[in-house]
Amino acid sequence: MGQLFAVEVIYRGVFQKTLAKNITRGIVLAAHNEGKLGISFGRYGDSPERNGIPAKSFAIVANDEETLEAGMAQYEPKQVDVTVVLDDTLCKGAESWAWSGLQPVHHALKPGHTLIVISLEDAPALLKNIHRRKEPYKLGIVRGVTSFSGMWVYKDDHTDVRILGAIAKALPKLMSLESVEKFINEKLKNSLKVTTARNAFERFTAIDVKAGEGNPEEVVKVGLPRWEDMRCGVSIKGQAQGGPFADPVTGEVGGFRPVRNELFTKYSTRTQRPVVNFATCTKCTLCWLNCPDGAFDITAAGTYDTNFEACSGCGICEEICPVKNCITMVNEDEFHDNNSQWAAFEKDKGAYLKWLETTIKKADPIKNRSHGFRYRGQYQEQVPEAMEIANKG
Amino acid sequence: MSTFVDEKPTQNLEPFKGVKKVPQEEYYTSGHRTCQGCESAQIMKLMAKAAGPRTVVLGSTGCMYVANTSYYATPWGVPWMHTQLGSSGSSALGAAAAFRVQMRKGVMKDEPINVIAFCGDGGGADMGLGAISATMCHPDYNLLILMYDNESYANTDIQISGTSPYGVNTSFSTPGKVKRIMNHRWKKNMAPLMMVGHPTVKYVGTISTSYPLQAMNNVRKALSIGGPTFIHCLNPCPKGWDFDPVLSFELGELAVNTGIWPLYEIECGKLTLYGKTKDIANGRFKRLPVRDYLLKQGRFAHFIDEDIEYFQSKIDEMWDKWLVPGIIPLQKEIEADTPPAR
Amino acid sequence: MATLTIPVEEKKKTHEQEALITGAEAIAIACKLANVDVVTAYPIRPYDTVMQYISQLVADGEMDCEYIVAEGEHSQFEIVKHASACGARVFCGSSGVGWMYAMECLTVTPALRIPMVAMVGNRALDDPGAFGVEHNDALSVRDLGWMLTWVDSAQEALDTALIAYRVAEDRRMFVPLAISCDGAFLTHSQALVKIPALEQVKKFLPPYNRGDLLLHPDNVISVAPQANEDWVMEIRRQNYAVTEIACDVIREVYTDFEKTFGRKYGNPFFEEYMTKDADVVLLGMGTMSTPVKVAVRKMREEGKKVGFVRLRWFRPFAGPEIAKCLERFKAIGVIDRDFSFGSPDLSGVVATEVRSAMYTSAATRPPVLDFICGLGGREVTVPDVEKMTEITFEAAKGKAQPLTQWIGLRG
Repeated sequence: MGQLFAVEVIYRGVFQKTLAKNITRGIVLAAHNEGKLGISFGRYGDSPERNGIPAKSFAIVANDEETLEAGMAQYEPKQVDVTVVLDDTLCKGAESWAWSGLQPVHHALKPGHTLIVISLEDAPALLKNIHRRKEPYKLGIVRGVTSFSGMWVYKDDHTDVRILGAIAKALPKLMSLESVEKFINEKLKNSLKVTTARNAFERFTAIDVKAGEGNPEEVVKVGLPRWEDMRCGVSIKGQAQGGPFADPVTGEVGGFRPVRNELFTKYSTRTQRPVVNFATCTKCTLCWLNCPDGAFDITAAGTYDTNFEACSGCGICEEICPVKNCITMVNEDEFHDNNSQWAAFEKDKGAYLKWLETTIKKADPIKNRSHGFRYRGQYQEQVPEAMEIANKG
Repeated sequence: MSTFVDEKPTQNLEPFKGVKKVPQEEYYTSGHRTCQGCESAQIMKLMAKAAGPRTVVLGSTGCMYVANTSYYATPWGVPWMHTQLGSSGSSALGAAAAFRVQMRKGVMKDEPINVIAFCGDGGGADMGLGAISATMCHPDYNLLILMYDNESYANTDIQISGTSPYGVNTSFSTPGKVKRIMNHRWKKNMAPLMMVGHPTVKYVGTISTSYPLQAMNNVRKALSIGGPTFIHCLNPCPKGWDFDPVLSFELGELAVNTGIWPLYEIECGKLTLYGKTKDIANGRFKRLPVRDYLLKQGRFAHFIDEDIEYFQSKIDEMWDKWLVPGIIPLQKEIEADTPPAR
Repeated sequence: MATLTIPVEEKKKTHEQEALITGAEAIAIACKLANVDVVTAYPIRPYDTVMQYISQLVADGEMDCEYIVAEGEHSQFEIVKHASACGARVFCGSSGVGWMYAMECLTVTPALRIPMVAMVGNRALDDPGAFGVEHNDALSVRDLGWMLTWVDSAQEALDTALIAYRVAEDRRMFVPLAISCDGAFLTHSQALVKIPALEQVKKFLPPYNRGDLLLHPDNVISVAPQANEDWVMEIRRQNYAVTEIACDVIREVYTDFEKTFGRKYGNPFFEEYMTKDADVVLLGMGTMSTPVKVAVRKMREEGKKVGFVRLRWFRPFAGPEIAKCLERFKAIGVIDRDFSFGSPDLSGVVATEVRSAMYTSAATRPPVLDFICGLGGREVTVPDVEKMTEITFEAAKGKAQPLTQWIGLRG
């Protein structure tokens, strides 16, 4: 049996669909320059993708046909040589569209191999989120702004070739930098991208992550029932009714909390989450009423508390809130728990408001918090800045 | 003499008198795998909330099927059953007929049960149009068909449907080297089609998730007026329309404020405009240029100025030339349609 | 002494009646006796006379149901599918390409466990648009989980309709069932039929109880959520479990039918006619049984030892029983009033299934010949049957015969 390589790219559904595909295709075509054979594919179960919900794309490469076939004999590789994460908030794990249950981001990564993450954060910050595992691995950061676009208009900020350069450094047996450059010259016909790839290659380093190092959170696994135990007629029990609940601090029972479905939560869908200033909130109901995910619990005090099981981080609540700076979307990287903000506010209003202030300061101005298209010409405006930030790395 | 049979309401569903009077109970909660900012999910939530627990929902294939009851989970707190893509009309009729006969035969408790079948624009304006049309003619059965319109076959990764806008980019209408505009069709006028084509229908209306209170109250009206009813909702779709999910609500408003999406109810033949549409019709509000709406969405990024002007001219025609402005496309004069070269 | 006259309506409740009716009307009457709740109609010949009869029954107050005329067969079947899901006992039907137009609905009903009873007035598939009998319409759903049965008389049609509701609505089954009636011969010709008393039917047929699958505000379920590769096999396996016990349920019901109504069908799955000491048998479904039986009697008088096996149930296919019946004959001639282009040996559907059953379950290996005959309503004549029998006898003697032959064809 010859050598078999598998690379997986974990990305934000729809927003990074084209980017992920460009990367996995680029791997196959670059490796082909050294005589290797390969295939590139998205995970069928992830399709049709939904904005924000994690998805995976793969490249399988081998020295010969038979080895490639061995790699193709499964729907997707159970073990990969490199895992690429295109949005660092995905480091909290992927609850992919295709499955139930959360998978740590290095779920399929072979021990001792490299996890590549695009981020402006440093390794310790990322390791607060990346789950610990029994086996050691390497973590390499490609410095850059998360690249988001959409279905029809693509933002080409060279992220694709930066990743190819990094992979060539992390796994030279898969493909060399020369192969990557040849691919860019011949297929992409873009000499600027050759430079970008080269720089990424030269800059790329990875640190060793020890066994047991990382986020201690226990990951939820969902089992599957036997056919005898399944209800017949393709039926399942419906969603139970929610009801009033005890306030986390005062214990007063009231308000309404819907029952939340455990089989799919939005913890890993978010790239950003709302932070709420309960002091200025006028309880107008609009955030709660207009949330497509029904993510707000109504507390006994009549405030609206984001329930992070259900919040997908769309940002409609910020746009619709009539009070200035009452709801602000902040990058998900800033948070390391999913605790109730209302509870924190009640426990200590002063501390909460201070925390709110510092957290909001860290939030990018709205034009940079783009996760998607806002106006024609936007991406052309954003690319130079994104390139500059990446080149600083 | 009225065309409309038996004008007593079937049940008492009072309109919600303001956002603070909206009930807290949810009959559509989490577990769905819809996109960030999905306004179609939002109308499902509002529809279920408006209808309440004595409801049965038939859901035809589409995003609100596949992205909701995904992989053996469900967000529905009322009984829900899948139906086929073109079966929103027939499924609602079947459910309503079953309840009616069992109550008459005394084997089921006699009470008003809300029967709601939802369909996307693909399932409603295209495949299922015949079935909905047939159902609209049946005065004996109380039901609501709600069409959530994200202007594409969204679940199959975005393709044009009968309600997709002119010129839009989808995976079946991609702009290319030779053809800039692949979709030459203008959006179907579904709600008026349902009303004008079925003279005994008591309630037809359009709603928007950007007007949530009115949307819920219109659903409640449709569920209590009797007979088959039809509601058409426009739902901005961050994935298919290609925009930052943050803008979902705003785009819904813009659609109304540009005159592209008129808001109205037709209750027993009587037409009432509401929201900004009312102000557009009586001259109190000047329609915003369609450019403001179109260029916020990646699906129109390939439009040249001539395309935008053409689009504007068609909207202007809706309001300036139609005999029932915004609603019924009958005109006094014949005028040429002159789209730019595609 | 005064005689007590019971009014006609009362008589119908307690006494068996006799009437001269078509197979279609017989089924309409069965629906009335079964207290069907929702019926949907759409015109296509030749099944639709059943819907004309039902319309009259409803208008005359003899039947209380929702009678809805749909705008196409797809909607027609979808309406009753959902009505059944909401607790209503339903009846529907179609013919030929009308049945095919409903195919999407026909496909989903077994997995959804919808016990609808449908009448198929077997009709040739377009194109061409002939409305004579051909069995391909009903046969097209044979893999999907439907139960399929063929009747050959108006009496059998009525009885089988009652049996159908009992079998389909048995909680162990809960799958749809189609009763095939050959177009024209059965749907349009009138025969003397015994109509059971309503009280007897009530004893035989309990009300439809959908249990915890009922779609109603008191039972919050979600039916048919989207699934992926993690779920489909298990879902299909549940329908498979139904097929494992289907024959047992059918036997139970026929036994109970006999007890209640006094009419004996014997083996529910197939009827044997003059097979006791036969050397060869013919095998087929539906109204071809009449010319075949007439021909068999004629040939018997001539000393030829021939018999006829008429299949009633095609799904479930009682393979081991059929094989055990057929293994004692020297040759078998299957008459297929259907086609299956490109199949093994280019044979029709029934022959292919019979051969398959014999391969696994028969102790012997007699030749099984196939005769394509009677398509599009062309008569299966007595001379045709004699010819088929002669060919089968040749095979029995050891003289190789073509595995598939077209009988009664010009050319």
